[in-house]
Amino acid sequence: MGMVVSGEEAYKLLKMMKQGDLPIHDVLSDFNSSFPPSHRFSLCTSLFLILQDKLVLTGTERLVALSVIHQSHASQPINANPFLRFLISIAGDDNAEKFERAFILQLLELSDSSSIKEFLKQSATDYIKSFDPSLHVLPQVEELRQKYLNTAHSETFKCFFKDNAVKNVLADPDVPLGCDVNSSEFDLQPGGKAKLGSGERDETVVGMLANLSLEGLGPQWIRPRPPRLPIQDGELVWLIPDNNHELLWDHGMCADTSRGAAVRDLIAKAAKGPLVPAQQEKVMMELANDPKLVYHCGLTPLKLADLVENNPLIAVEVLTKLINSPEIAEYFTVLVTMEMSLHSMEVVNRLTQAVKLPSEFLRLYISNCIASCENIKDKYMQNRLVRLVCVFLQSLIRNNHIDVKEILIEVQAFCINFSRIREAAGLFRLLKTMEG
Amino acid sequence: MESAARELSTASTAAVMQNPAAAEDGSGFDVSVTSAMAKEALARFQSRKYGECLELLYQLLQKKEDDPKVLHNIAIAEFFRDDCSDPKKLLEALEKVKKKSDQLTRSSLEQTETASISGTKGITVSKGSSSSALQLGISTNSSVHFSDEFGVSVATLNTAVILFHLHEYGKALSLLEPLYNNIEPLDETVALHICLLILDAALACPDAKISADVLIYLEKAFGFSQSDSGNIALQQSANLVENSSAVSNSTLINDSSNLESSLVASSENPLSRTLSEETLDYETMLSALDIGGQDASRTTQRLPSSNDSSISAMGKSVSSVDFKVKFQLYKVQFLLLTGNLKGAKREVKGTMNAVRGRDSSTALLLKAQLEYARGNFRKAMKLLMALGNRTEAGISSLFFNNLGCVYQQMRKYHSSSVLFARALSSFSSFRKEKPLKLSSFSQDKSLYTIYNCGLQHLASGKPILAAQCIQKAHPIFFNRPIFWFRLAECCIMAWQKGIISMGDTSDRSALKLYVIGKGKWRRIAARNGLRDRYHEPAQENELYPAGDGHLKLSLEFARVCLLNSLHLLNRSGSSSSEDSGLPPEPDIDGLESTGSNIRILTGEDNRSPAVGLGQVTANGDVKEQKLLGTCQEITNYSLSMYEDTLKRKMRALRQAILTNQAYVELELENPMDALSHALSLLQLPNCSKVHTYLGHVYAAEALCLLNRVDEAAAHLSVYLVGGKEVELPYSEEDFEQWQTAKVFDSEDINVGHSTTSNFSLEDAWILQILKPEEARATLYVNLAVKSALEGEYELALELITRALAGLPTSREATLTAVYINLMMGRAQEALSKLKQLTNVRFLPYSFTVHGSTSS
Repeated sequence: MGMVVSGEEAYKLLKMMKQGDLPIHDVLSDFNSSFPPSHRFSLCTSLFLILQDKLVLTGTERLVALSVIHQSHASQPINANPFLRFLISIAGDDNAEKFERAFILQLLELSDSSSIKEFLKQSATDYIKSFDPSLHVLPQVEELRQKYLNTAHSETFKCFFKDNAVKNVLADPDVPLGCDVNSSEFDLQPGGKAKLGSGERDETVVGMLANLSLEGLGPQWIRPRPPRLPIQDGELVWLIPDNNHELLWDHGMCADTSRGAAVRDLIAKAAKGPLVPAQQEKVMMELANDPKLVYHCGLTPLKLADLVENNPLIAVEVLTKLINSPEIAEYFTVLVTMEMSLHSMEVVNRLTQAVKLPSEFLRLYISNCIASCENIKDKYMQNRLVRLVCVFLQSLIRNNHIDVKEILIEVQAFCINFSRIREAAGLFRLLKTMEG
Repeated sequence: MESAARELSTASTAAVMQNPAAAEDGSGFDVSVTSAMAKEALARFQSRKYGECLELLYQLLQKKEDDPKVLHNIAIAEFFRDDCSDPKKLLEALEKVKKKSDQLTRSSLEQTETASISGTKGITVSKGSSSSALQLGISTNSSVHFSDEFGVSVATLNTAVILFHLHEYGKALSLLEPLYNNIEPLDETVALHICLLILDAALACPDAKISADVLIYLEKAFGFSQSDSGNIALQQSANLVENSSAVSNSTLINDSSNLESSLVASSENPLSRTLSEETLDYETMLSALDIGGQDASRTTQRLPSSNDSSISAMGKSVSSVDFKVKFQLYKVQFLLLTGNLKGAKREVKGTMNAVRGRDSSTALLLKAQLEYARGNFRKAMKLLMALGNRTEAGISSLFFNNLGCVYQQMRKYHSSSVLFARALSSFSSFRKEKPLKLSSFSQDKSLYTIYNCGLQHLASGKPILAAQCIQKAHPIFFNRPIFWFRLAECCIMAWQKGIISMGDTSDRSALKLYVIGKGKWRRIAARNGLRDRYHEPAQENELYPAGDGHLKLSLEFARVCLLNSLHLLNRSGSSSSEDSGLPPEPDIDGLESTGSNIRILTGEDNRSPAVGLGQVTANGDVKEQKLLGTCQEITNYSLSMYEDTLKRKMRALRQAILTNQAYVELELENPMDALSHALSLLQLPNCSKVHTYLGHVYAAEALCLLNRVDEAAAHLSVYLVGGKEVELPYSEEDFEQWQTAKVFDSEDINVGHSTTSNFSLEDAWILQILKPEEARATLYVNLAVKSALEGEYELALELITRALAGLPTSREATLTAVYINLMMGRAQEALSKLKQLTNVRFLPYSFTVHGSTSS
């Protein structure tokens, strides 16, 4: 799609076409020197469009225009000329002037540039004067098409929107009503006086050359614009003052860590055996003094079971302080899976008094207690454990640390199973009163 | 602080003891000596003698080579010595500290690993458990986790602080999150700093989810559920409170003294520690913090709790109220962010009562923001005016910016542009302030104002200026889909206005009829500007030469921006899916067309996870006692509200992006892509009627361009009833998406409704929405075009006549009518139609042909 032809260019072009008396070849050189190559295609397009209007251009002008179009792609084989199809359509048009048809045919038949050059040495005026129709056989369009249009050109691109366009320049003759528009009386003669309805052809040619567009005038599809997105809530930024955040000094630099180290040692010892009361006191005190110490005292879930067995009070203290730790679940898992013992139950019982334990954990723990009681082989040990569990459960229930409904069935079954033991019967009665 | 340090120190001493090479290095020093030097250095730091402080630190470094904590404090002190001029350098230094610390942790880990393996054997024997190997894995992992996480927690926090001041909220947040997730073991002072910073960063990002988490945590950990560890400590801290509030009072004058006050305040720390036998309690820790910010409130006290009489007695202390106010202000910000305006209103009321008699710009600005968000622009203005007499540069720029927002929403574009400009000049004077402080960086929020400015220009139809402003906000908004969408809108608007196309840049909306020649030879050339444009990049380059830092606006650039926007939207959508993938959301489907706005805001949303709280009566009135729920309930309710709003916004944006994509591809004569965008638009669930209409029209045009006329007809005939009648593709109620009116507050419900109906035709015009009748007429035109091209001129004539009834001034409709008449051989009718066009300019074709007459 080239650029638009300016009025000035159109005017120059018309002036060239009017030089029908000069050898056509000279006019072509003038064309080539007047217009840069990049403009030539759009000029040819304008010529092509105006040639379709048979009334506007004179015979000699048409011949010059056709030569310009034919020679526009002279450096390439004739097949490459985009206007070939158009030239052929004129050459095969029975309604066209015979000299025009013959002129095109001769141009098409001359293959080498030197003979074309020779042919174009005559002027357009001379060609028309000396034209003898009897010397020329004018073939039909079909014949010509077969001869000159190879397959590459036979397929044209069809576009639904564009192929049906009409030319965008409409005749709008301004002559008195009832007069014949085509009458030459309305042609303005050089030097003649303008009268109503008269007009000058050149003005129109220039205007047409400049305004004819290849796209023509087609039906206009409406492409609605997308609506703009309104400013969104909160998109306009409302500013409020920042809170100030200052850089922190790292107080840990070269800090005295002996106290922490002492507690770590004690915790390590506590996992191996009971601590003497003084040691125990020290751990408790340090833990109480520094709520974060518990995270650095060296206890891991792995060591918890040993700590519970050897120093249940310390275990309670540590777990209470770890209750918000992201790892607390791991510690609970250890409590649930470790072997049931007095100490373990004591730890859990004290924990329930100190913090709110997850009910899920408590239920699991209770189930585990009950299972341990049932699995134990030694009768004496079993009795001992069952009594412990019963006391433990009673304590939980009396202190409202567990919702009885959650464990009712399981615990009732347990009580019935061990109803021979006094504490179990007591627990059963307690459950009954709770139920009521 | 003590304990945060402890872990790394123990780790490093462990490394020193177990690593012979390190032991040699350390053999010369005595712990008490270095510890004393460290205290001395801190004292110098606190009295801002950075040179002396650094000398001590350099000496320490000789004794403890490569100690990360020493390196860290050196970096901090150097930063202050250099007048905070080079935050980038500090970031690099902190990065090195973290790497160094990692190395140490790794080497100490190798030691512990061997130790714990031998330890495990013992346990394995005693327990006979086969799973101990697995357990070992867990526990070693967790110990690694511990030591490396808070060995560098202060360094990480400081990095985040710098990033926060540089407005890099997202990055800051990503650093803080791991710290927050393992916050329990951290020293309380550090932990509170982390919480407050993460809260500010999350609110700025904005990330409502994290904000909600931290708010709930703060309330739990520092508000009500404090352990009873320090009843004795309380007594002692009473003195401390007085101490530090005395200190802070002297430094309350303006925010520029925040640095000093925090330093002076923290200098009280060692004293407090010796007083209270190293007991860290919240009071001590809070007193070390400067939570003041602009409003310079200070915090030294926990929130009073009703079930602890000793604490509520303490609650009367000034500083306690300050922390409470602080916390409330955070809550207000959160509630405003999530659009829980009712909650925000209540909270603001409480805050205003609490700050009574004192001066809180923040509280006032938030109250104004609340009224602004509720659409009470007059009230918002009044509140802002109350601020107007503040002289501080920081406040005045905020004041102008916010007032600009209010005017913009009131559609007073000129005033708002003046106000934004004043805000910017106020910011720029601020930037020149010397000496620099850390907060100098964060207080320059000019980029936000520039973005506001861009939106303002866009709304008032100045795409080039708008693009220049919006582009400047790139550093803060580059990862938001809406940012790229706005840039695309600038390009498209510039294109539509003919600013960035070649060819004649005069008004292209009018059809030009050139009258050529006279009399017998008179011709009329119809030049259709819009269709005659050619796209020549060379011309654009001349208009916007590269290298001046300005964007080259073009449709190709719009295409890229839209792609970016969609990409970012998809990415954010994958985490909180807006509607994609989620199996049917029938409630939305059913209600979408009746106005999702109202549906969500009145809370008739059954999916809300906070149903218990969101018991809402039909008229949208949240029951009072529900609003008095716990912080957690309100927070969760607001969060779910926010997520719903976010989904709705994302849905609207996605439709807008796809619509614009289809349009841009059509303009770029790329029907294949245009078609695929239009089809994806049509496939969106819950696509608005307006967008559905555009999707059909664009798809039809693309299909025609591809010569697939039958398929095109299918898209157009969606709206056909009985062959020739076209129904209205949408009604004005379907404009809800373009309405910004809010119906939040039951008491203001009448106001809300009147604003809704205020959506005027003028708005529709500004936003380029076709009125329903115009949309229908457009369909008539396009159907006529299709029929005409298929040679059905009779039908085409009938259709175009209907079209012209709806769009009498439309160029396209008239030209199509001209064409149809011409094709039917009715040249006279065609010419008269052409001449009847109202929006047309007859131009004499006036190139002088004198030359030809003279030659």
